Amino acid sequence: MNIFNIAFMEVKRDFRDVKTLAFLIAFPIVLMLILGTALSKTFTTSIPIKNVHVIYKDTTTNSEFSNYFKEFVKASSKSDIYFKSASTNQNGEKEVKRNKYDGYVLIQNEGIKLYLNESNSVEGSVIQGMLASFVDKYNVASEVAKVDRSQIKKVFLPNKHDYIKETSINAGKQPSSMDYYAIAMTTMIALFTAMSAINLINGERTRKTADRLLVSPVRKSEIFIGKIFGSMVVNFFCLCLILLFSKIFFKAYWGNHLGLVLLLILTEVFLATSFGLAVSYLTKSSASSRSIVMVVVQLSSFFGGAYFKLGDPSGVLGLITQFSPLTWINTAITKIIYTNDLSAAIPAFAFNIGLSTLFLFITIISLRRREGL
Amino acid sequence: MKVLEIKNLTKKFGDFIAVDNMSLSIEDGEIFGFLGANGAGKSTTINIISGLLRANQGTVDILGKNTKKNNKFAKMNIGMVPQDLAIYEDLTAYENVRFFAGLYGLRGSELNERVDEALQFVGLEDKHKEYPKNFSGGMKRRLNIACAIAHRPKLIIMDEPTVGIDPQSRNYILNSVRKLNDMGCTIIYTSHYMEEVEEICSRISIIDHGKIIAEGTKEQLKSIITNTKEIKIEVKTTENINVNEIKSIPGVEVVQVLDNVVTITSDNGVNNLNKIIQHFINSGIEISSLQENAPNLETVFLTLTGRNLRD
Repeated sequence: MNIFNIAFMEVKRDFRDVKTLAFLIAFPIVLMLILGTALSKTFTTSIPIKNVHVIYKDTTTNSEFSNYFKEFVKASSKSDIYFKSASTNQNGEKEVKRNKYDGYVLIQNEGIKLYLNESNSVEGSVIQGMLASFVDKYNVASEVAKVDRSQIKKVFLPNKHDYIKETSINAGKQPSSMDYYAIAMTTMIALFTAMSAINLINGERTRKTADRLLVSPVRKSEIFIGKIFGSMVVNFFCLCLILLFSKIFFKAYWGNHLGLVLLLILTEVFLATSFGLAVSYLTKSSASSRSIVMVVVQLSSFFGGAYFKLGDPSGVLGLITQFSPLTWINTAITKIIYTNDLSAAIPAFAFNIGLSTLFLFITIISLRRREGL
Repeated sequence: MKVLEIKNLTKKFGDFIAVDNMSLSIEDGEIFGFLGANGAGKSTTINIISGLLRANQGTVDILGKNTKKNNKFAKMNIGMVPQDLAIYEDLTAYENVRFFAGLYGLRGSELNERVDEALQFVGLEDKHKEYPKNFSGGMKRRLNIACAIAHRPKLIIMDEPTVGIDPQSRNYILNSVRKLNDMGCTIIYTSHYMEEVEEICSRISIIDHGKIIAEGTKEQLKSIITNTKEIKIEVKTTENINVNEIKSIPGVEVVQVLDNVVTITSDNGVNNLNKIIQHFINSGIEISSLQENAPNLETVFLTLTGRNLRD
């Protein structure tokens, strides 16, 4: 009950801090408007998928499957998806890693293995979708064959390559500049909540209310959890408002899995809060905490593509962008919205929750060493 | 019944000993004064009692129960009025008291009643919807007290509650302390204002360098130095004052010079006033005024520690 009392008090106080709230909500909306309209020409209405090249090795002894796969390969070329059979000496995985091919398909008796190059995420999704559709169709064909071999053709019509059309990309929907910046600004401001987290406990010390809290029969853990919970509720509420505003007034597209997207954003708020708290405990003053958090948030925003799209950077730049929380969350949200790939949320969840746990662990160790908050 | 008992309490900050093997007990219904200069160890002691700091050695018992083993029980029975204001400027007076009282397990109508009671007690009932940022210093101090008493603690610790406020608010607070005591609360009152402690405390402890150097009622403490008198001489200039020469006058024990006032503590049994005045005349020191004082706690402190309370 004390946790909720403390959280409720935190929510009440935060909502009365009109200036901070206004900044938290208005800043990203204004940026969305400016960047979304000013940079609209840099975003094409369709994302051209370049020719997709796939290398494959057929080691199966099932000649029937091999034949159907060959038909599939032939038909795919009509959609600019080119399959090439690997020579005996060729290592398909290495070829993919070297970015010579977008994917490597290994056909074995046990099944099909697909190796993808993660930097070509859209092409990878296309290959995955196509193969999944092909396998579904093949399984159906096999069952049909058990009943009536003459009906197989109805399942696989060589001239009709509808398995390509069944891929999960909604070809009619490509992110516009507003769609892009709606995501980018929302996730960026979620990261900015680390700034308010610095003062979660520091503020109690400065106001001297920390002593009054500790003198009461409330555990340190209850104070801690209550403050974090309250702060997260307010920040998440503001982010929901920003998202809804962009959806309603800017017509930004947020896909069909809004719940999952919001859950991801919530984990980012958790990450930012735990990061801000950890920094406040590790540094000696609020000023140094703010400086560190600001530098990290700004760099993460820049390298995460919050201000402008970085495309698919390679080399050192590519490596640096991987360290930005905005990279992994924006990638996950984009995949969820535009390719309906819900599993894309898993790495982002794992990173956010994992890092948050680490930061909280650091904070708790520091808290235990101190007398007082 | 003992409300508080401290045994062999020691607290160190690195090599610095803030509380040095302190033992004391406070009976039910007392207003117990902690008197000492800044840095004497008063705040450290009460922070240990209230659970803010951990002692390196020793025990603290509240109402007969050890605070380490019965932490929640101890905290439920303590109300803390800290030296610094500990209130939220962006919550109303009512919300402040309600929030802190809620931490003590009060709920529903009982909580509302206690909040109203506390605000009424400190005279802020008609300001309950206002924010402390609009309050005067005295009103904020009163709210500070209200937040500490809403849960009706048995022991109230007040750490310099009248610092920096106007005389009217100060009197209000002192009267409130007496009222709380009349209602059955035991109070620990720390201050470096001797007059306040003399006025309201039933028993006083003088602390210096983390140790209790004297303890007892006002009369008992003053009796330590009944053999001394204090002579305060205001001079035009302290240029020609030689402390050692004044000390050499028979009966003179302590000489202090602060601004243009020379304070001489002297053996009450030795009639040396004429000799002291003569010394000043011979030294060419012009006397503006002279006052011979009966012993007070300030004198007790000065005698015991060699310093003024406000040094």
